[in-house]
Amino acid sequence: MIDKLQACVAAGEKLGAQFVEARYDDLTLRTLNRTNDVWKDIILRSRAGIGITCYHDGVSGYSFTASTSKRDLEEAAKRAFKMAKAAAPAASLKLDFDHRPAIKSKASDTFRVKVHPRTKDLEYKTELVNRALEAARETGKEIQSVMTWYGELFGQKLFTNSEGATLDWEFLVVDLYCRVTSKTKDGDLVNGVERASGTKGMELFSRKGSTPEDVGRATGANATEQLKAKACPAGEFRALVENRLAGVLAHESFGHLSEADFVVIGMSPITGKIGERLGTDHATIIDEGTPEIAKYGGLWIPFDDQGTPASKTVVLDKGILKHYLHNRGTAKHLKQKPTGNSRAVHYAFVPIPRMTNTYFKPGDLTEEEALENLGTGVYAIQTAGGQVEGDGSFLFKAIRGYWVEGGQIKHPLREVSLSGNILQFLKKVEGCTKDLMLIGGYFGGCGKEGQYPLPCGLGGPKMVVADVRFGGKA
Amino acid sequence: MMEYEKLKDALLAEIDTGLKFARSLDSSAEFEIYLMYRQQSSVDISQGKVKANDGIVAGNAVRVAKDQCVSFSSSSGISAERIKLSIREAVSSLKAVSVKDERFQGFLDPMRQGREGVFATEILNLSTEDLVNAAKQLTENARGAGENIMAQSECGVDWGGFAIGNSRGVQRASASAANYCQVYAMVIKGDERRGAYTYDVTRERVFDIEGVGEQATKEATSLLGAKKLEITAEMPTLWIPKAAASYVLASLGQSANGRSVVEGLSPISERIGDKIATPRFTVHDDGQNPASLGTQAVDHEGHPQGKTAIIQQGQLKNFLFDSYYARAFNTDSTGNCSRGGGPFGATLPFESAPGISSTSLEIVPGSKSEEELIASIDGKGVMIVDLPAGIFHSDVATGEFSVVAACVFLIEEGEKRGAIQPVSVSGSFYKGFEQLLEVGNNLERTPWGVTIPSLVFDGFTIVG
Repeated sequence: MIDKLQACVAAGEKLGAQFVEARYDDLTLRTLNRTNDVWKDIILRSRAGIGITCYHDGVSGYSFTASTSKRDLEEAAKRAFKMAKAAAPAASLKLDFDHRPAIKSKASDTFRVKVHPRTKDLEYKTELVNRALEAARETGKEIQSVMTWYGELFGQKLFTNSEGATLDWEFLVVDLYCRVTSKTKDGDLVNGVERASGTKGMELFSRKGSTPEDVGRATGANATEQLKAKACPAGEFRALVENRLAGVLAHESFGHLSEADFVVIGMSPITGKIGERLGTDHATIIDEGTPEIAKYGGLWIPFDDQGTPASKTVVLDKGILKHYLHNRGTAKHLKQKPTGNSRAVHYAFVPIPRMTNTYFKPGDLTEEEALENLGTGVYAIQTAGGQVEGDGSFLFKAIRGYWVEGGQIKHPLREVSLSGNILQFLKKVEGCTKDLMLIGGYFGGCGKEGQYPLPCGLGGPKMVVADVRFGGKA
Repeated sequence: MMEYEKLKDALLAEIDTGLKFARSLDSSAEFEIYLMYRQQSSVDISQGKVKANDGIVAGNAVRVAKDQCVSFSSSSGISAERIKLSIREAVSSLKAVSVKDERFQGFLDPMRQGREGVFATEILNLSTEDLVNAAKQLTENARGAGENIMAQSECGVDWGGFAIGNSRGVQRASASAANYCQVYAMVIKGDERRGAYTYDVTRERVFDIEGVGEQATKEATSLLGAKKLEITAEMPTLWIPKAAASYVLASLGQSANGRSVVEGLSPISERIGDKIATPRFTVHDDGQNPASLGTQAVDHEGHPQGKTAIIQQGQLKNFLFDSYYARAFNTDSTGNCSRGGGPFGATLPFESAPGISSTSLEIVPGSKSEEELIASIDGKGVMIVDLPAGIFHSDVATGEFSVVAACVFLIEEGEKRGAIQPVSVSGSFYKGFEQLLEVGNNLERTPWGVTIPSLVFDGFTIVG
């Protein structure tokens, strides 16, 4: 296949393109979903296709096709060049980039696992789902519904360009996800969710804490606790933000503002603020393509879709803005180094600056000390998603939480929303715990400009924050 | 490359070949093959940075069923080889795991087909240069002479179709085309940044950029100088059509979905015939309105699309079904089978197993203009003029929502005052319908498959 990609590059250059990139993804995606006693999904997807980017006068044109026939690939190269050429006169912002030596991948660029999911049959995977679901079911009589999913995404990613780069590596993520819905005596429905996921082999599901039984029981326990949970009062409170929720804040709220395609056009509110203080000394945010998976979790992304090797980028260092997240063009434009953040969900999309594994750096507090520092307020845990705006304002749902008084947990809280502006939030971070947790899975994922769902890792420690606005009942 | 006129026949021919191959593998199983092909071109201009894409989304999906066991497999591409790959994988899955789905009663039986939506052939003639020029002009219109205005414009064309065939004899295809222009304008004054989004999305004609950019800038500018509300209280909220569309999608879009109903996740699943909204509220799903973007001759399993009353004068009438959930609910399909559907859709729809989504939710308008709706609010209220953040992250099971409305105006004593800083709005979707105070007459077709006027609700908590 690499020879076909090289032919695409040659075809684009022959048409007049100043630079050409061609990539091929051959991915397998499996989704299993059992809801109560019914198998809703036993799905296998084969997602293979080619994406070609032609550059002309600092402007790119992109085309894609699922066909690998010579005629269709030539047509795609032609379309990509045609788009670039037509668009160039309308562009006042050109994003050229410096050439670099050809990059070659090594066998070690593919994350090695003990038991790859392709070596396990379908029956083994459906049994994982059954085990988690049955374990969850046994946790309470009030359960209305148990939904359990297994997902895996793996496969080859090839890349070449006008510099002669040759990349050949495999992406991998597995995910076991469980959701329990229970009914309170007042008839309200409450939820619990848990998962075990990341760039891991199937050995993940044999480890303590992430066996199907462990995932199922933890999910059921979360839902059971919600039966007696109270609604969170509305207003501003001190908060202890749990690891996974901290990760969502790092990714959704701040990470997107640091993506350099927003910065070069001035849309990001942190445009031109390199070197400025945006947060307290406790606020350090990092994006890293190849973190210590075994220790912290997360996803393994050794190259981006422009062929740039992964890096560990300190975006915010003790509150000071240090770096943006780049593709090759934005890095040159802003005089920074490429960071390996040019990613696409799949072949039908052009790569754009996206995050890899984004997290708050841990501090030195224990959880007890963090609760003590919190004093009175809300301990917000896990997340059911949320939304951010271009100015940094955000709204996230914490799936559950606790009301804390005098550093003591008093009672559980129902799903609660947190809102505010990340640039204000960062100035209120008072401390972080020492435990770092990264999560990233098959289900969910990041969305940007219609590209959804892109697997991303995120996480952090637990964070004490001075004031956070909580929605709820007045 | 396919041509629009020949698309349906070409896809149906591939289906026929695929079904013959499938039968050769297992003559005792039922098969369903789905093919889609769409050509998509778009040009995006953001502050002088241009992004231009032009490609073909094509793929296939296969379902195999035997003894109430069903498997699904999909692959990108519509070549005979790729279709065979999906067929083999689906057959192989079925052999590996024999998990019965007691609800499954077979694929769809052949039925008549509905009408295609209207379609302006000029859409197919739009060139790359046309899109570039329109996006450039749209940006210039939005920016006007203002130095502190940023604009992101996009123009695009999307045409194609799908075909569905099964071993019960269904052989149907549908084709459509649409085009659009949209702009997001951001106005900056000091540290304040306010944005607004406007659009023209249509299948009836070539999109018209006239006034679209200017309107976005006007709306964004009106939000400058927002003051803090400084109040936490229950008060009436006026949702203009864009915002109201998100409310209806996030609530009824989920709870009237036959899957949520059958799974017991919808809080209105046992309330057919009940009054669940004030009498002024009527909504139906119309998959046969010729001008609606969601109109097709058939849905994604080959059933004719139709028109379904969901709530009539406050009374719950029906839910939206495909054949699978309709049979489980002992009723008929409403022609709402979709693949990767919903207001924002999937980029590779063929990868999604059949599900249910609305085609075009249409709310019957009331008699009051927006000014009269504002005048009807006593005391304090807020007017929400854009999609609130978090609205689509609400839980269908509980119906409780808590969102942040960033683009908001204060209403006081029946008059619209100035912009206010973002407020959180929380409450229950379903109690909201019971406390619906007014339905406006300013009907608007939104890009998310909802045609709706402004709505006024009572009883939501506002935290300013």
